[in-house]
Amino acid sequence: MEFTRQEMMAIATGREIRDGDLCIFGVGLSMLAGYFALAYHAPNAISMTEGGVYGSMPVGGLPWGIEDNRISANATCFTNAIDALGFLCSSGRVDLGIIGAAQVDKYGNVNTTGFWTDPASPHFGPPKTRLNGSGGANDIGSGCKRLVIMMAHEMKRFAEKVDYITTPGYLDGGNSREKYNFKGGGPVAIVTTLGILRPEPVTKEFMLDSYYSFSSIEEVKANTTWDLKISPNVGITPEPTAGELEALRSVDVTGMLKKK
Amino acid sequence: MPNKLIGLKDAVSKFTRDGIKYASGAALPVGSDSIVFGREMVRQGRRNIHYFAHCNNQQVNLLCALGVCNKVEGGFSGLEVYGFANGFRRAVQAGTVLYEDYSNLTMPLRFFGAAMGWPFVPTISNIGTDIQFRSAFNPDEYPCKSKIPEIKDPFTGKICGALPVAKPELASIHVTMADVLGNAIVLGTEWCRYELARAADKVVLQADFIVDTACMLQYPNMVRIPDLLVEAVVPWQLGVWPQCSVGIYDSDEEHMFLMNKMLGSEEGALEYKAKYVDSWNTHEEYLAVIGKDKIDKIMNNPTTHLMDPYRKWIKTDEEIASLMKESKFAQPAEPVSAS
Repeated sequence: MEFTRQEMMAIATGREIRDGDLCIFGVGLSMLAGYFALAYHAPNAISMTEGGVYGSMPVGGLPWGIEDNRISANATCFTNAIDALGFLCSSGRVDLGIIGAAQVDKYGNVNTTGFWTDPASPHFGPPKTRLNGSGGANDIGSGCKRLVIMMAHEMKRFAEKVDYITTPGYLDGGNSREKYNFKGGGPVAIVTTLGILRPEPVTKEFMLDSYYSFSSIEEVKANTTWDLKISPNVGITPEPTAGELEALRSVDVTGMLKKK
Repeated sequence: MPNKLIGLKDAVSKFTRDGIKYASGAALPVGSDSIVFGREMVRQGRRNIHYFAHCNNQQVNLLCALGVCNKVEGGFSGLEVYGFANGFRRAVQAGTVLYEDYSNLTMPLRFFGAAMGWPFVPTISNIGTDIQFRSAFNPDEYPCKSKIPEIKDPFTGKICGALPVAKPELASIHVTMADVLGNAIVLGTEWCRYELARAADKVVLQADFIVDTACMLQYPNMVRIPDLLVEAVVPWQLGVWPQCSVGIYDSDEEHMFLMNKMLGSEEGALEYKAKYVDSWNTHEEYLAVIGKDKIDKIMNNPTTHLMDPYRKWIKTDEEIASLMKESKFAQPAEPVSAS
C-alpha cells in the first residue's frame, strides 16, 4: 500500500505508545498519531487532553482544538487545566506525551515560541517571527514519563541550538536536566518525516536510530544542522502495515496526513 | 441576592476602563471565551489594556490587532489547527504588544495563587527553560531572575521556581448558562474559569442561556461559579462566535479563517472592525451579521445532547427582557411628571 511521509511519521510516532499508557496528545497531527495507536495496537491506552477532556474518541475528523466539539462529543469527563496538566501531568502520572515542534536541537530541546534575528543577544526584543509559545508543551515535556517529539525533518528546524527553549529536552545534555527535579524523564524519540532519532544514554545527544524505506542516512544528515551521529544499531523502520494504514486513515477522516 | 442582569454595552462601560488589568475566560483558542465582551471593548475604544490571556483565543487576536492592549501575559498564542494568530503576531513582532510567555499550566496556577491570596506559587514547570530566563517585560535582564525566580524548597533544598500570581481587576467569563443571580454552569472543559473567577477582583459573566435558579437547585454540583463571586450577568446567545460553546454551537470554521486572515494586516483589521464589530447594535443585529444559515449550521453539532438536562429551565428572550427590568442595574423609569 502506498503511504505518505506524514503517514509514516504518524505511524512511527503511534508505535511509541504502549497498551495501557496514559497519554496526552498535543493539538494537530500528533493527536492523529495518538488516536491511531488507540485504534490499532493500544486499545487499553487512555487518552486525555490538557484541557481536561477525558475518555473521548474524536468524531468527524481532526479536532480543530483540544476542547472543540469533535473531541467533546463523547467524553466521559470534563475537568480543567490544573487537573490535566498539573495533577496528572506535572505530577509525573502521565506515561507518554506527544508534541510537535518548530525547531529542535541535539539535546531534544524544543522551540515553539519564535525566531529572533539575533537569538543569542542578551536583549530580548520582539521576535522576527512569533510562533505559538508553549501551550501545554512545556508542562508535558517536564512532567511526562516519556516524551515523543513529532516534526517535519528540515535543515532549519534541526538546529545546533534552538532560538528559544520552550520545552525542556535534556537542556545542556548529560545530567543537566536533573538539576530541575522534573517528574518526567525527557524525550525518548524525535520522530520525523525522514526517520527516528533517540538520545545517547549518557550524553543525551540525539542520534539517528532508524530511517524510512524512502529516506537514507545521507538525506537525514543533509537535513540536520548538527553533526548527527548514527546509532551503531541503525536500521530501516518497518513500513506501515495494511492494518496500520487502515487504522490511521479511519482516524484521519479529513485526510490531513495524506498531503504529500 | 439581587438580579444582576445587565446589557453588554452597560457592562463594558461600567466595569472596564483604559489601562485595566483584564482577563477573559476561558477555554482554549477554539473553545469558549467571552469574545463578544471583547468586541464591545473595541467598540467603546478601550486602550492600554493589560491582558491576562489564560491561553489564547480570537479575543486576544482581535484586541492585539486593533491596538486595544499593550501588554499580554499568556500560556499559548496560536489558534490551534486554525494556525498562528495573525493579529496577535503582527502586534508582537512590531513591538506594539509586549507578550510575556508562561505555559498552559502556569497561567492557571498564577490565577490559583491569586485566588488563594498567596504571594507566589511554587512550580516545577517552566523552570530551566527560556520561559524562566527571558522576559518581554524586562528585556535586558538575562538570564532573567525576576520573572520566575529560582528558589529552594525549604524542606528538601531542591530547586523550584516562584511564579508571580496573576490578579486581574476584571475577568469577563463565558459560561454556558447562568441564572439572574450569577450562579453559572459551564459545559465542556472549564479550563481555568474556576480559578479565574476567584482570582479577579470583579467577575462579569457572559452567558449563552439564562436559566431559572431551579436549574441550579437541581444540579448544584455543576455550579462551579457561584453567585457570590459575580458582579453582573450579560445574556448574549452565540457570544463566543466564531469559536465554539460546547453543548450549543460549533466553531464557525469559515469565519475562524476569515477573521484570522483579516486581522493579519492593519487594513484588514480595520475592515474587520467595520464589518463585524461596529456594524451591529442590538443582539438581533449581531445574529444577522452571523447569518441564519451559518447559525443553523453551527447549532447542528455532535455535542447538543450535553444541553438536554437543562433545557426546561431556559428563559425565553421575552422572559429575559422582563427580568432585565427587575435587575439592580436597570435604568430607573422616567420620573412621572408632577403635573
